[in-house]
Amino acid sequence: MGRVLFVVPPLTGHVNPAVGIAGELACRGHEVAVAGHASVVGALVPDQVPLVGLPERVTPQERAELEARARNLRGPASLKFLWEDFLIPLGREMAAELGPVLDQVRPDLVVVDQQAIGAALLARRRGQRWATLATTSAEFDEPFAMMAGVERWVRDLLDRFEAEMGVPPPERAAASGADLRFSETLTMVCSVPGLLRTPPEQRRLPPGTIFIGSPAGLRRLPATDFPWDWLDADRARLLVSLGTVTREAGSRFLRAAAEGVLTLADRLQTVLVAPPGVADDLAAAAPADLLVRPMVPQLELLRRGRLEAIVSHAGNNTVCEALSHGVPLVVAPIRDDQPIIAEQVVRAGAGLRVKFGRVNAAGIAAAVTTVLDEPGYRAAAQRLRAEFAAAGGAAGAADHIEKLLA
Amino acid sequence: MTPQETLQADPELSALEARVLDEVAAMLREVIGEEYVANMEITMDTSFAEDLELESIEFVTLSAQMRDRYGESVDFVGFLAELDVDRVIAMRVGDVVRFIAASLAEAGQAH
Repeated sequence: MGRVLFVVPPLTGHVNPAVGIAGELACRGHEVAVAGHASVVGALVPDQVPLVGLPERVTPQERAELEARARNLRGPASLKFLWEDFLIPLGREMAAELGPVLDQVRPDLVVVDQQAIGAALLARRRGQRWATLATTSAEFDEPFAMMAGVERWVRDLLDRFEAEMGVPPPERAAASGADLRFSETLTMVCSVPGLLRTPPEQRRLPPGTIFIGSPAGLRRLPATDFPWDWLDADRARLLVSLGTVTREAGSRFLRAAAEGVLTLADRLQTVLVAPPGVADDLAAAAPADLLVRPMVPQLELLRRGRLEAIVSHAGNNTVCEALSHGVPLVVAPIRDDQPIIAEQVVRAGAGLRVKFGRVNAAGIAAAVTTVLDEPGYRAAAQRLRAEFAAAGGAAGAADHIEKLLA
Repeated sequence: MTPQETLQADPELSALEARVLDEVAAMLREVIGEEYVANMEITMDTSFAEDLELESIEFVTLSAQMRDRYGESVDFVGFLAELDVDRVIAMRVGDVVRFIAASLAEAGQAH
């Protein structure tokens, strides 16, 4: 049996895949812990996995301000903000604060989230065995194919970060062709190769790269917390969700989606994940057609609810969960990796893209109708379902990790 | 907007730049292919990120269109590859139009 420490950033979408794999390893009898910020991570980590809390350097108010600023940015401006104002400061904290944690836990392996570069830096410096968990495949899909300057900028930023942390030039990642974002021992990608623009056999990926499919596992919201009786047997079932982070910025889109799907109510029931005040009046006027909930047990809805399609912001977790159940999507990417993940869905034929900022109710209804009526979308999603099953999910990831513990 | 209107609207624009602006605007409308952009006025000041919300994949399509139209004399891929992150963020249609016009003028295709 081995001892494995997962290091996660305070971002829900990054924690859930880590927790899925950690839970699987714990079930197999390994000693597993998650290091992260309890204010964000605490509620996501199941009881059987201990949480090593990192100091809360960012106050809830500062975090809210960061999120508010991030919401106003799109495209490369958003990428720059993410790195400069969030990931580098987080990296500094983690590089300084994880040392004592490693001394205390003495893990055989540290599984570092791809964006937790401070943990990667520390592991490299200490000769600690480490693996990368990439909770999105965007970095493996030529994200800057046309914008080489953006990729150069990220590399320079990482090199300057190492310099600032006192790593001498010959020991920095770049000096040996390495990269803090990719462990050469094992880099687990939450996706399948079939979604990439260029198949891995035609393009060199970082050494140690393995695709693990969708490692979704235990979740905080019990499946009992959903009115399963509400679902009809004789209408198609649609989920509309903008995920865990972007929800509050999506009121216009969510309302348009609700109005759009209600025009299809003769054939469709919709579960809309939205905060209060967005579409409650619409749900009250059509209680059998539209259900609005602040949170849903998404995996259970896919399994038990037999969803026909999902309208999503193209967050990687939702996309991978949908495709691993053979469910097609309408994707409305907002920022970060979402445009790339949305493009993967479209390229694979498993969904349609609409513009988050511009699409109206009729546009959303039309996209949903197309995805439901043209069998190609579901057929493509079903093909990907088989590829996701073969990738192994959390169990597959645990197998790869166990090889490093032997 | 017709080419004549573009010329009148911005006296600073050379005839070549005005022509290229119309061509680039048409390519952008086709690449984005959505209703809102069909009705949007695309000017030298229109920004790729904020106004057009052009995604990285759409740059791939746009560059293919430019190659079809302008051939080897306009190296749009090279132009994009040289941009640093701040210029990518701030990039406006005018930056691309001026680059194309300069490339065409240099290659003697300005007529």
